[in-house]
Amino acid sequence: MNCNVAIVWMHDYLDSELPRDDVLQLKNHLLSCTACRVRYEQLERTEALMRSKMDSPAIMDSEQSARLTQRIVSQFPAKRRRATGWTRWIRKHPAVSVAALFAIVMFSSFVTMWQQDTQLSISGADLAQLVIDGDTVTVPEGVHIQGDLTIENGKANVLGDVEGNVTVIDGQLYQASTAHISGQVKKIDQALDWFWYKVTQSISSLAY
Amino acid sequence: MKSLEARLARLALKGDQSAFAELVGLYQDKLYHMAYRMLYNRQEAEDVVQDTFLRVYKNLERYDDSLKFSTWIYRIATNLCIDRLRKRKPSYSLDAESNDHEGLDGYSMIPSDNRTPESELLLSETQHIIHQAIETLPAKYKSVMVLRYLQDMSLQEIGDVLEVPVTTVKTRVHRGREFLRKKLEHKL
Repeated sequence: MNCNVAIVWMHDYLDSELPRDDVLQLKNHLLSCTACRVRYEQLERTEALMRSKMDSPAIMDSEQSARLTQRIVSQFPAKRRRATGWTRWIRKHPAVSVAALFAIVMFSSFVTMWQQDTQLSISGADLAQLVIDGDTVTVPEGVHIQGDLTIENGKANVLGDVEGNVTVIDGQLYQASTAHISGQVKKIDQALDWFWYKVTQSISSLAY
Repeated sequence: MKSLEARLARLALKGDQSAFAELVGLYQDKLYHMAYRMLYNRQEAEDVVQDTFLRVYKNLERYDDSLKFSTWIYRIATNLCIDRLRKRKPSYSLDAESNDHEGLDGYSMIPSDNRTPESELLLSETQHIIHQAIETLPAKYKSVMVLRYLQDMSLQEIGDVLEVPVTTVKTRVHRGREFLRKKLEHKL
């Protein structure tokens, strides 16, 4: 038997983890090998010393023990502070809480966007022929505009022809009898409509 | 059937103060004993016990019934002890003679703790050497050896407390034992 193996087995034996058959083998080895026998005896005595050393029970007298108990118990409030209803709910439903928080943040940013947008803005393919006066955008009589026209936060006064859609957001649309709009006419002044319009617009702008 | 401790923990969670006091009564001395063996300092050992119960109290709702209560509480306490051992200044050998003070070694530099029961018992040199051998064990071996010799825990339980595999515990017990054997070699 190899001495290195014997040393590992000695430890296993001291841990009461060595199988019976191996114990016999180890015993035979110890009988024949002085170095290992000496080592085993040292280990056994170390073990015994440590146990007796650690086990000295008089480490804390009852007086000290009582004082420590007093110290521990006195540091706690008389009534356990229970987590209130909603914090406990939040802990139990993290996914819902996160979703709710997300919705709140999105909604508030949407609201601020809605309120900030009070400036007149016009977009379209053919803007050169439009007449802008304050917040009124006029398509003069006899003028022919190619493409779509979008007016935000302003009044649209259509006297001429528009070859495309006219969209008015947060404003009013006047159409004279001479006006001719070949596409769709849309008026948006509801938050939901406006939101939907923004969404579809950003998606289509992504697409093209 | 749940263990007594698990039931007490449940009661304490519902706000029963006496149940918590009972848990303190059950574990306080054992924890103190262990902390003292790890730290060799009365004051620090008491602090660790106090901290342990504070953490137990705060985290009662997170206590998982599938774990033995003793495993859980020893885990908290050993972690606190190991933290303290690691935070200590790099250890100086107490036996090294000081340069500034001729003929004085480290022992004369530390304030004596006269209340230590050891101070009355450390009469023989052998006792002194054993004391020192345990004290110089590195933290990870010390925790294993203290749990093994003092609390008589099985290797599996020690593994649960320290959250390491049993094979690791085994290796540490073997190395720790060899370490102590070498330290005590001349006295055996």
